Amino acid sequence: MTAAISVSGLTRRYGRQLALNGVTVDFEGASITGLLGRNGAGKTTLMRIIAGHELASAGSVRVFGAEPLENSALLRRMVFIRENQIYPEFKVRHAIRTASWFYPNWCGELAETLLEEFDLPTDRAIKKLSHGMRSALGIVISLAARAEVTLLDEPNSGLDAVARRRFYDLLLREYAEYPRTVLLSTHLVDEVADLLERVVVIDHGCVVLDACSDDLRGTATRVSGRPLDVEEFVAGRLSWGRATSRSHESVVVGGVLDDADRLWARELHLDLRTLSLQEMMVHVVDQTTEDYARETVA
Amino acid sequence: MSTLVKVVRYHLVKPDNLVFVPWAVLVVGFAVNVMVVATTFGGQSTIRYMGTLAALYLTFSVGGVTSITRALPLGLGLGLSRRSFYLGTVLTAVSLAVVYGLILALLQAIERWTHGWGLSMGVFRAPFILEGPWYLTWLMSFVLLTLLFVWGVWSGLVYRRWNLIGLWAFMAAQVIVGVVAALVVTWMGAWHHVGHFFVTLSAPGIAGVVALFAMLFLAGGFATIRRVAV
Repeated sequence: MTAAISVSGLTRRYGRQLALNGVTVDFEGASITGLLGRNGAGKTTLMRIIAGHELASAGSVRVFGAEPLENSALLRRMVFIRENQIYPEFKVRHAIRTASWFYPNWCGELAETLLEEFDLPTDRAIKKLSHGMRSALGIVISLAARAEVTLLDEPNSGLDAVARRRFYDLLLREYAEYPRTVLLSTHLVDEVADLLERVVVIDHGCVVLDACSDDLRGTATRVSGRPLDVEEFVAGRLSWGRATSRSHESVVVGGVLDDADRLWARELHLDLRTLSLQEMMVHVVDQTTEDYARETVA
Repeated sequence: MSTLVKVVRYHLVKPDNLVFVPWAVLVVGFAVNVMVVATTFGGQSTIRYMGTLAALYLTFSVGGVTSITRALPLGLGLGLSRRSFYLGTVLTAVSLAVVYGLILALLQAIERWTHGWGLSMGVFRAPFILEGPWYLTWLMSFVLLTLLFVWGVWSGLVYRRWNLIGLWAFMAAQVIVGVVAALVVTWMGAWHHVGHFFVTLSAPGIAGVVALFAMLFLAGGFATIRRVAV
């Protein structure tokens, strides 16, 4: 299967700052991928270049095999509302109406439903919407467009817990009905973990982790207990994130633990806790930050 | 529906900036003119030129700026290419300028017929450029409105691409070009030639010069938008 989006050696420089540093990654058609990373890691820049909003300094982006920049036929199949999207002096309904003209698969019924689900007043000026409501407007447009490539930039940012839950349900339902290539950047990693088929973590403009979320599940465990016992258990395993006090130690070990491991841990009175996706991301990013700092100093 | 027509609809889905505000400003200006003239200069027989029309042109120009600063980002977000957006925006401006030119020509005809609204006012007439037959008034208004809009668009694009410093440089460059041209004319002692050129230039000739500048700005804007990021 050829990739819907193929990014190769993508670099974007802003003066001396490297926003993207040789990113190479593919996104399959009909998939939901989480684009994770800290603020300023390069997630939005990557999306902007994929959507042809920003130009690359080096490298290439192909969407369905073609270069997206100024490619009208291709851009029509994509939707990308940014987290801090600039709108004209519109009311909500103006933005919805405009969007409906540009997308051949636009579903007006869905837009209505979504507006109701998010309690978005269509007669309210967009500049008077709260942060969360603006996010909701972006979600309504992005989903109702039913575009083959849907780029969601921090869609859950500012949404309250109820609206977030609704968004996740709606996204899954919509995706099941109209599968498409969804790229979703977010800070709330654990909340969306169940939605994601794949996880791409970006840090300092580089892809530091790219894996199926099923493969990642349970691949890192925090082991804690008495220092001697922990060390005995951990010996010979990939481990990081060590926190030690005189009577207590906790370490993260990589790799799936089998039944024998778990039995042994119980005998040593160790506490085992599987790391969530968010904790794993934090660990991965911490590691690369250390490497990055080391490289920069050297 | 072609993409360009969709862009026109996008610009006019909420027509405040491009339709209501320019005409509202003109109506208010006109009302102030009437009040001032009626209370101070009543009974004059020579035409008093008011210059109020400039307000319409300037607000239309501002519409050109906001079509870039506010409308371009969402346009690209909804899958438009820069090229489609630009051509659709220009199509919007040209269509409005055609209609506005007709309205202004009609208002001018009424102004003549009523001897300056009964007060010898020249609101829709201006010496030299807006004093010919209706079709020349229409032509002149059309090219001037287009010129100012396109100038606004280009300024907006320069701002989007190179920020405030770029905009200052852009404005400064225009002033410098004007000053250099004036200096060259002075050094060559050719001011009487220039004066002669404009005096003998008929109204269609002036419209042609304005159109030439509009085309120049249009090309400048197109070159600038090609690498604009949002």
